[in-house]
Amino acid sequence: MQTRVQRFSLLLPVIVLVGVLAWGVASIVGLSLQDRAALLAGFFQRADYVDALLRTHALSIAATLLCIALGYPLACYIHQYQGNRNRLIVLVITPWLVSIVVRSFGWVVVLGPRGLLNSLLIAVGATDAPLRMMFNSTGIVVGLVHLFLPFMVLSVLAVLSQIDRAMGEAAASLGAGRLAAFMRVTLPLSMPGILSGAMLVYLSCMGSVVTPLLLGGLSEKMLGTQIYVEMFTAFDFPKSSSMAVLLVASSLAVVVPLLWYERRVSRRQSIAKV
Amino acid sequence: MRQSKPLLAAFSWLVLAFLALPIVVVVIASFSPTGNMRVPLEPFSLSGYRAFLSDGKWWEAIAVSAALGACGALISTIVATLAALVNARYDYPGKALLEAGILAPLVFPHAALALALYGVALQIDLLGTVWGVFLAHLIITLPFAYRPISAAMHKFDRSMEEAAMSLGAAGPYVFRRVTVPVLRPGIVTALLFSFIISFDEATVTMFLKGPEFNTLPVLIFAEVQEGSALAVPAISTVLIALTFLFIWLVERTVGLQVFVDKD
Repeated sequence: MQTRVQRFSLLLPVIVLVGVLAWGVASIVGLSLQDRAALLAGFFQRADYVDALLRTHALSIAATLLCIALGYPLACYIHQYQGNRNRLIVLVITPWLVSIVVRSFGWVVVLGPRGLLNSLLIAVGATDAPLRMMFNSTGIVVGLVHLFLPFMVLSVLAVLSQIDRAMGEAAASLGAGRLAAFMRVTLPLSMPGILSGAMLVYLSCMGSVVTPLLLGGLSEKMLGTQIYVEMFTAFDFPKSSSMAVLLVASSLAVVVPLLWYERRVSRRQSIAKV
Repeated sequence: MRQSKPLLAAFSWLVLAFLALPIVVVVIASFSPTGNMRVPLEPFSLSGYRAFLSDGKWWEAIAVSAALGACGALISTIVATLAALVNARYDYPGKALLEAGILAPLVFPHAALALALYGVALQIDLLGTVWGVFLAHLIITLPFAYRPISAAMHKFDRSMEEAAMSLGAAGPYVFRRVTVPVLRPGIVTALLFSFIISFDEATVTMFLKGPEFNTLPVLIFAEVQEGSALAVPAISTVLIALTFLFIWLVERTVGLQVFVDKD
C-alpha cells in the first residue's frame, strides 16, 4: 500500500530532530576529546572540579535513596487507598508539573535565612540565630528530592497496578504473614518499578542546574552548577563540554549495572508469568 | 480483606504535605508586602501582583513562553504522530535506535543536553535566537508527544481501517474518520504535555537564549538569583494556577490514568 519512500518521508521530520540531538552530543564529545583529551586530563588536576564531580554523585545518590524511602510507601498507600485514588494522584502530579524554577524558589522561601522555617524555629524559641539550611548540601538534597519524588511514586504505582491482587491473597492463604507476603511477593514484584524510578531520579539529579544554583549557591557546586559558571563567566565552551561528557560517562557507570539488573528481574518475572 | 494501616497512612500524608509545602508557601508569600512568608504572618497585600502587572517584561516573557509552547506542541505532536504511524506498523533497520533517540531527552542529564543543543545552535548560527530555543524545545518535548500517541497506536486495531476500506472508503477519508478519532486521546495528551513541558522548561533554554529575549521560567530564575523577588511569588502563583487548569483539562479530556499507565 505504502511505498518505502512514502514511509521514509513520514519519518523524515523525526529523523531530523533525533539527528540534531545526535549531532550535538557528537560535537561536545568531539570538543572534549580534541588536543588528545588534554581537557579531560586537566579536569582531574583541579581539586575543586573533582570535588564537584564527587559531590554531584553523592548528592544524586542520596536524593535517589530518599526518593525510594519516601516514594515507595506513598505509592503503596495510594495503590491500596479505598477512597478516590485520583485525588491522591493529583496531589503527586501537581508538584511535578509546576516549573522547577517555581518549586526551587518555594524552597528558598521555606529554607532561607529569614525564611519560614527559621522564623518558625525562632518564634518557638528552638534557636536564637537562623540555621543554615540553604546554600549547602541540605538545601540541594531537599530541592532535588522534591523535584523528582513524583517520578518515583508514578513509576512504582505503574508496576503495583500490574501486580495481580490474587498473588497477595494466595500468599496469605498459604499462611504468609503480612510482612512475609510483602517481603516475598509485593516487594520483589515491584522491584522493576523501583529500579526504573531510581534510574530516572538519579539521572535527573545528575543533570540538574537550576536547583543547585538556587539552593546550593556557588560555594557548594554540583557539576551542573560548574558547567553553568564555566559557560557564563568564563565563556569556555570546550571546557564545559568536557565536564558534560564526564557527567554523562560517570552516570552511565552507575546506571548501566542498574539497567542490567532491571532487565534481568523483569525478564525472570515475565518468564514466571508464562 | 485489607486492614487499615495507620502508620503507613500517616507517613504518606506527611510525604504529600512535603510535596505540597513549597507550592502552598509560594501562594501565601504572593499576598505578602515583601514577597516572603514567615511567622508571624505579614499583613495581606497585593503589591506583588501590582509589581508583576505593571512591569512589561513579565508580559513579554509570558508571550514568548506561550508562543513557544503552543507552536512547539503543535509541531512536536505532528512529528510524533507521523513517526508513531510508521513505527507501529512497519519494521525497518534502525527502528529501535530511532525510538531510543526520540526518548533520549527523558533520561539524558539536562546539563549535558543543554550543552549538546548549544553546540548545534552555535554551528548553525541560531545561538541566542528564538529559533534555536524553539528547535531545542521540539527535541525536549518530542518524547512527551511520542509516548502517548505510540501507546494509542498499539491499542489501535488495524482491521477497523481495513473494514472501512473494504466498505469502499478512500484512504484520506479513512484517515480522517477512523484513524484520527481513535488516536484522539493520545494526540490530546501529546499536545497538552508538550505545551506544559515547553512552557516550564528552564535549564536548556537558559543556555541557549542569549540576552535578547526571555522565557517566563528563565526570567523568574534570573530575578530570584538577583534577589529582587517581589513579583516572583505573584507570577509563580499564576503559573501554579495554570498547572491546575492543565490537570483539570487532562482529567476532562483523557482522564488522569495517563499518568499511571505504563507503556
